[in-house]
Amino acid sequence: MARFYSLYTSPVLRGPDEPGVPLTGEGNEFDRIGTPVHSLWAGRFGETQFFPTYLGRTGLASLFCGFIAIEIIGLNFFASVDWSPIRFIKMLPFLRLDPPPPKYGLWVFPPLAEGGWWLMAGFFLTASILLWWARMYRRARALGMGTHVPWAFASAIWLYLVLGFIRPLIIGCWCEGVPFGIIPHLNWTATFSVRYGNLYYDPFHMLSIVFLYGSTLLFAMHGGTILAVARFGGERETHEITDRGTAAERAALFWRWTMGFNATFESVHRWIYWFAILTTLTGGIGILLTGTVVDNWYLWGVKHGLAPSYPQPAGIPVLPPPQVLHDMQLRGTTPGGATPGFFLPGGSPR
Amino acid sequence: MIRTGAILLGVATVAAVLFLLLVPRWHWPVRGVQVSLQGPSMVQFAPTPQDLTATNLIPAALPPAPAVGPKAGALYQNVQVLKDASVPQFVRLMVTMTTWVAPKEGCGFCHEAGNFASDQKPQKRIARLMIRMTRHINAAWKSHVDANAQVGVTCYTCHRGQPVPSDVYYPSPPHPQQPFIEKQDDWNEDEVSTLGFFPRDSWGEYVLQDAPALTQSGTALPTGQVTARIVTKRVYEFMIQLSNALGVNCGFCHNSRAFGDWSQSTPYRWIAYYGIRMARDLNRNFIVPAAHILPQERIIPGAPRMPMVPQRNEGPQAGNALVICGTCHHGVPLPLLGVNMVHDYPELLGPDSDAGVPSPFPPLPTN
Repeated sequence: MARFYSLYTSPVLRGPDEPGVPLTGEGNEFDRIGTPVHSLWAGRFGETQFFPTYLGRTGLASLFCGFIAIEIIGLNFFASVDWSPIRFIKMLPFLRLDPPPPKYGLWVFPPLAEGGWWLMAGFFLTASILLWWARMYRRARALGMGTHVPWAFASAIWLYLVLGFIRPLIIGCWCEGVPFGIIPHLNWTATFSVRYGNLYYDPFHMLSIVFLYGSTLLFAMHGGTILAVARFGGERETHEITDRGTAAERAALFWRWTMGFNATFESVHRWIYWFAILTTLTGGIGILLTGTVVDNWYLWGVKHGLAPSYPQPAGIPVLPPPQVLHDMQLRGTTPGGATPGFFLPGGSPR
Repeated sequence: MIRTGAILLGVATVAAVLFLLLVPRWHWPVRGVQVSLQGPSMVQFAPTPQDLTATNLIPAALPPAPAVGPKAGALYQNVQVLKDASVPQFVRLMVTMTTWVAPKEGCGFCHEAGNFASDQKPQKRIARLMIRMTRHINAAWKSHVDANAQVGVTCYTCHRGQPVPSDVYYPSPPHPQQPFIEKQDDWNEDEVSTLGFFPRDSWGEYVLQDAPALTQSGTALPTGQVTARIVTKRVYEFMIQLSNALGVNCGFCHNSRAFGDWSQSTPYRWIAYYGIRMARDLNRNFIVPAAHILPQERIIPGAPRMPMVPQRNEGPQAGNALVICGTCHHGVPLPLLGVNMVHDYPELLGPDSDAGVPSPFPPLPTN
């Protein structure tokens, strides 16, 4: 059977080693390192060739800091199971490294057993991420590219910094940071939402979800479209942006005929780029407002007509029985000032 | 052309599907009942029936005994709690209690052979305390045990044919603090699924202590009153325990869009509220004070429960068990499926001889 081969179908291209253009200009401290290695399996997912790559000062520093961060976290986990390898593997999803307890506030030298390691791991992880960002920026510049990719990465870093650094700084307590650990950070997310009265009523959380789901939708539409016109050379997107051929025409007509409007080969990438960036940008804003500007998102939603009220099912009074109320007041709580049905958390040790 | 990649992928997919179908313990079919209007969409998922019938059927009762004739307290020596029961009632209860608590061990589990009046065995002293506790629950905690339906408790509600109830909480022994390493959570590794696989450090905070549990603000904007996130974590973990013990999801008591709001919660939340206070009362006034009678040594085998730190938890341990929600509930909202078992044993209904007994704990701070 005759088959049409394009970049997206079966053949894996195996050319001679591609060393890359010579390094020129500012900001290239080192040569590229590594000799080319070819892999047929890598060719199924991308190019067959690994290496040479460029590390540079920022790359080396980033890897070094990242190694220290992972090492601190991993050795803490390992030590907390008394160095038992079996326990380490079994409990790996559940082990955690917590931020300092509230009593230390923003003090940067708490005891190691009480969040000191968390601060150190967080410092080195943040340094590693920021250095990697600088490296991406400089590599983009060195290749004469725009800096779109580093700025998209910066949006993700923004959310990371809000969660672990900026928001704790504003509240004045490292204890507000996220613990390291697989399940513990998920449980943190759940309790964070419960503590601040249901994050689903946070409009920026809503926006973030819109952009997240929108990103996946746009991604599927664009990826599907390009694969569908690969047989007409549609993978040569950069050509088709200015020099439109049958692939671009068909892809455009497909969407115009399907939904009356179509992006262009150029603009669809702006759509996807900004949806992806706005996911973490709005998410970070939503987290930043939580606990600093808004303390209970559900009540905030009620206040601004966002959360609808539903008729009470029959037989449920507005307030608990008098005895429950009495008992709760004994714990130092007063319903005064609070929305009926809620109670001010008084008397809780910080 | 043999496409080995495709074949391998197919085999791996089939293996993964079979693993997912066969290895986890599935509970099918899941039946959901919506208990609210459309908006809040509060759905309760009922446990599947086959799980319930096996563990929550009540044993057959002996024929009722007449309340006539001399009182047990007059005929037998050293009867302190059940002295107002008639002799046939007393004997019937003693025989039944043996089948409830120590069916294998028999009368000799508590009583000295040849001298049934002796308090020599610690089991006998505990049994008397537990009868007092049962009467105390039925008389003083109607707000919990008779709130939704007339259910009450008997020895069998917890014991289910075992001298030590199966679902109790042994607080974890203190971890020898390493100088530079943070103490890890005490994960509940007894559970078979991730639904129950949560830390349980906080259980004692609520079934024994009276730790703060209010986490959500009562106002939309910050008021300067701050709750530490650790409180939310503690409550969250304790609520998971409660949810598992009853076999229900959050929506059984709460409207999940506003967990803290009593006006949107179902009345079950009040029953649970009293239940937590009841467990606290029992642990404070019966279980912990009995520590000098209860055996303080227990052996934890290495398997199947593999504790967090083997050197710490295996082998002999000190400390006694605490009552938690699952001790009575055993996975259903109404223990023993709501059958009013204590109806057949009026001797256990009261009176409450412990009314007014001072708590061994100092009074709670009020502020």
